[in-house]
Amino acid sequence: MSFIEIQCSEVLSSAIFIIEDELETVPQAAQINSHLTHCAPCTAEIEHERLMHQMLADVLRRSCNEQAPEELRQNINRQIREQIGNYAGATEVVTQFSMTEISIEVDEFGNIEHREIQIEQTHIQHFIDDED
Amino acid sequence: MTSKDLVLESAADRTTRFERDALVFTNQLYAAALRYTKNPEDARDLVQDTFLKAFTSFHQFEEGTNLRAWLYRVLTTTFINSYRKGQRQPLIADNELEDWQVAKAQSHTSDQGKSAETVALESLPDSDIKRALQEIPEEFRMVVYLADVEGFSYKEIAEIVGAPAGTVMSRLHRGRKQLREKLTDYAKELGYSTESSDKPSIKKGGSK
Repeated sequence: MSFIEIQCSEVLSSAIFIIEDELETVPQAAQINSHLTHCAPCTAEIEHERLMHQMLADVLRRSCNEQAPEELRQNINRQIREQIGNYAGATEVVTQFSMTEISIEVDEFGNIEHREIQIEQTHIQHFIDDED
Repeated sequence: MTSKDLVLESAADRTTRFERDALVFTNQLYAAALRYTKNPEDARDLVQDTFLKAFTSFHQFEEGTNLRAWLYRVLTTTFINSYRKGQRQPLIADNELEDWQVAKAQSHTSDQGKSAETVALESLPDSDIKRALQEIPEEFRMVVYLADVEGFSYKEIAEIVGAPAGTVMSRLHRGRKQLREKLTDYAKELGYSTESSDKPSIKKGGSK
């Protein structure tokens, strides 16, 4: 098997894929892995990237942990009650559609394949009475 | 053949389920909304709108799938459609792919650069971390937040923000890079530094 050389710059530009464990989605994944086993500076660089990413994620999580104000919670609850209130006096019409698609295939060897696909859809409409 | 249970959930049961499963994310969604809108008033309104939308379409949510990701999608689309109107948006989408190619011109970082970054991340207070996050473009901020704070995979983020997975990866890469650069700059300004603190900055377009 021939070994195709790949530049350090190409390896480093794929650092994000390595850190995200998505290297296999990069076309030159094999060359990158092989390069990393030979190139100490690139390996160190990727390790540094990994560490920096971990530290960045840690400080972000630590910093962004605000609590929702009590007023917001109350507003959300009130809003939900209002919605239920709307539905309580409403006429709910539920329409359901159901369809079964059956296909039977016989191949050249006489094998029979049978498939059923069920398609379902539910539609809910609320008719709200305008009068109080 | 199996017969499907076609009994529908009552409105009351749906409400109970919503309160039990969805409202536990209020704090998290509020913190994300603060990052999106950059101010507490809009963040409150955005979270309230998000829960209203989520509640009224909750019957469409498929139980067993990721409710948290679904709520973030509602939050993000609500924000994009209603809250950022009128705000000037940096036009990064057009040259995004091109820039991704350009980003290939990478070289090894100097040891000095590495330690400056480490110092910045170790010493800066939360307020500076949040300020840096606010200063990077919205598209970058969202994906970095969703990935690094919320821990969503880049495929989930693609669903949440409605962008292709490749675009998400590119934004994630560039967003984190900008964030780290900003934090390193702040640390220098504040005098947190490595042994070379007395030397003038050699950054291009640099200091006075």
